[in-house]
Amino acid sequence: MNNLVDVAIQFGPTLFDGLKVSLTLTLLSLAFGLPVGLVFAFGVTAANKTFRYVSVFFVEVGRGAPALVLLQLMYYGLPNADITLSSLASACLALTWTTAAYSAELIRGGIQSVPPGEVEGSHALGMSYRDCLRFVVIPQGLRIALPSLMGFAVLLFQATSLAYSVAVPELMSQAYSIGSSTFQYLPVFIIAGLLYAAISIPATWLSVYAERMLSRHL
Amino acid sequence: MLRAIAIGLPLTVLVTILALMIGTVVALPIVAGLRSKNRILWLMSRALVDLLRGVPPVVWLFILYYGVSIGAIRLTALQAGVLGLGVVAAAYLAEIFRGAISSIPKGQWEASSALGFHRATVWSRVIGPQTARAVVPAYTTFAIGLLKDSSIASSIGVAEIVFMSSQYARQSGEGIMVFFVAAGVYILLSVPLGLLSRHLDVKMRKAVAR
Amino acid sequence: MEQLMIEPNIRTGTTVVQVKNLAKAYGSNVVLRDVSLSVQEGSVTAMIGPSGAGKSTVLRCMNLLEQPDSGEIEIDGHRIVAGRKPNAKNLAALRRSAGMVFQHFNLFPHMTVLRNVSLPQERVLGCSRDEANEKSMELLKRMGLAEKADQYPSRCSGGQQQRIAIARALALGPRVMLFDEPTSALDPEVGVEVLEVMKELASTGMTMVVVTHEMAFAGSVADELVVMADGGIIEKGEPGQILQDPQHDRTRRFLRAVLER
Repeated sequence: MNNLVDVAIQFGPTLFDGLKVSLTLTLLSLAFGLPVGLVFAFGVTAANKTFRYVSVFFVEVGRGAPALVLLQLMYYGLPNADITLSSLASACLALTWTTAAYSAELIRGGIQSVPPGEVEGSHALGMSYRDCLRFVVIPQGLRIALPSLMGFAVLLFQATSLAYSVAVPELMSQAYSIGSSTFQYLPVFIIAGLLYAAISIPATWLSVYAERMLSRHL
Repeated sequence: MLRAIAIGLPLTVLVTILALMIGTVVALPIVAGLRSKNRILWLMSRALVDLLRGVPPVVWLFILYYGVSIGAIRLTALQAGVLGLGVVAAAYLAEIFRGAISSIPKGQWEASSALGFHRATVWSRVIGPQTARAVVPAYTTFAIGLLKDSSIASSIGVAEIVFMSSQYARQSGEGIMVFFVAAGVYILLSVPLGLLSRHLDVKMRKAVAR
Repeated sequence: MEQLMIEPNIRTGTTVVQVKNLAKAYGSNVVLRDVSLSVQEGSVTAMIGPSGAGKSTVLRCMNLLEQPDSGEIEIDGHRIVAGRKPNAKNLAALRRSAGMVFQHFNLFPHMTVLRNVSLPQERVLGCSRDEANEKSMELLKRMGLAEKADQYPSRCSGGQQQRIAIARALALGPRVMLFDEPTSALDPEVGVEVLEVMKELASTGMTMVVVTHEMAFAGSVADELVVMADGGIIEKGEPGQILQDPQHDRTRRFLRAVLER
């Protein structure tokens, strides 16, 4: 137990720096991935063949491949194609792909759950297809998908722990390097675990709360 | 290149299956705890599930592999991998089972009571079978997810697909291809699971067709 | 309740809605067979009949929420011929001329009542936000719902929601109002509020086509009664006459079932 406290005091700041990187990676991936996901949500059922095939490819691979594979793909693969990005940037690219793929499905589900009566109401009023999407379908669809998207965000945050394998200085890699230099593996991983939990658990409760609130309103 | 992936394939499948089995078995007492009227039991189960799901699987694997040593005994990479993934799976599956059980109409419980069934009968003849049917989609979806999560075991040295692919990429410099192929393998592996799920779903639906 | 004043487009004697030889089938299920109908300016047409008769389908074909397989629809001079892809501008103009009120209201739950009534005016008529809001408040006031303007539809009763839906459709200044079983989803007591609004609307000269099960309304307010069964019109004419002395046996059976519940 003493060990735990000692390690916490000595290495706390380093671990916190790692946590900051983890959170940054999560937020950046969400910021880039969600808008792309919205586009793919429509892309997978688009009339235009090229758009459709590209969307389906990105969504199927993004969801079907483990995040670790995508991370390694970007890390080892990009230099092959003569693209050199920092480790953070390539990790961000990989996780953006994951985010776009999963959120495309979640958003698509949300959009399909919008009561068809409302779409008919806007058609009967003579609103254009674009207006109907903009004012009725997308706002409602996103609202419906929000709890699942929040749940996904938590999983994404946890997935950033895999970025240690591609040299991103996030929480896990900090914990590992402290562990391997001090051999105090157990205490440092426990603290790292607690740090992850301290963010994941409240965030999950928040998404459950959001789900309850939203089902009441609609 | 394909050889490298083919060598990793058996362990990927093994880790997935073992973790799924452990998860399914361990989930049962946890579900009981989550449904318990006993405040303390419920609180403990809830805390356990939240903690197991709130910490990334890789951290659990590291704790088990690097951190746990009882005397001179330490877990092998495979053991740590399967155990870690299995216990985390138990937490997710407990939630899935709980959801499936609560989706069963209250009327089923009421009818069983009215007929005077013992608890064992209610579970084995009425609630159990219906839960099994309700749980198939979520269970197979989770299993597919677990297949992908088995890749996390590579971080503690289990020689499954990702481990072998990374090794190959480092040595040969052919990063892009090998990982695309690896991604393809994971996607292909999930197809039979998806088909099985749909087949079971249809079969079970026919059995209850009104 | 004060009289509702909508700009009267009175050109008496004109046909506002003309439906010719409408037919529709879903696979082998024939829903409409050769339905023809014309609606005069300022008149109220009530459509009654057993479930599955095709009444709602005819109404929904009028503003092309459903595509008829064959036939013609003309509303306020805008014509659509089935089978050919409708010209987008023509379709939009037709839908502007026909306001529709649905059984389940179909209000937008994520917008306030005011925005529900104003947004279509802004987007479809091109009004400014202030103009739209002014018109909306005027209509809501006439319905007695002005204080609900900043609330969300979920906080309003069913009757209130339906009246808001009527205001939303009226705000676009339609030549004809189409009602698809407007009171079927409401308690009888609450349905009365909506029927009062519809009566008021009729007395101001609005052309209306109402699919309904409310026989009292059909009998007292409608100028023309259309009875449908099995996809076709079996009787058409003066409500009083048909309700007292139906010509067709099917009509007799239907009325007996409805009036003697």
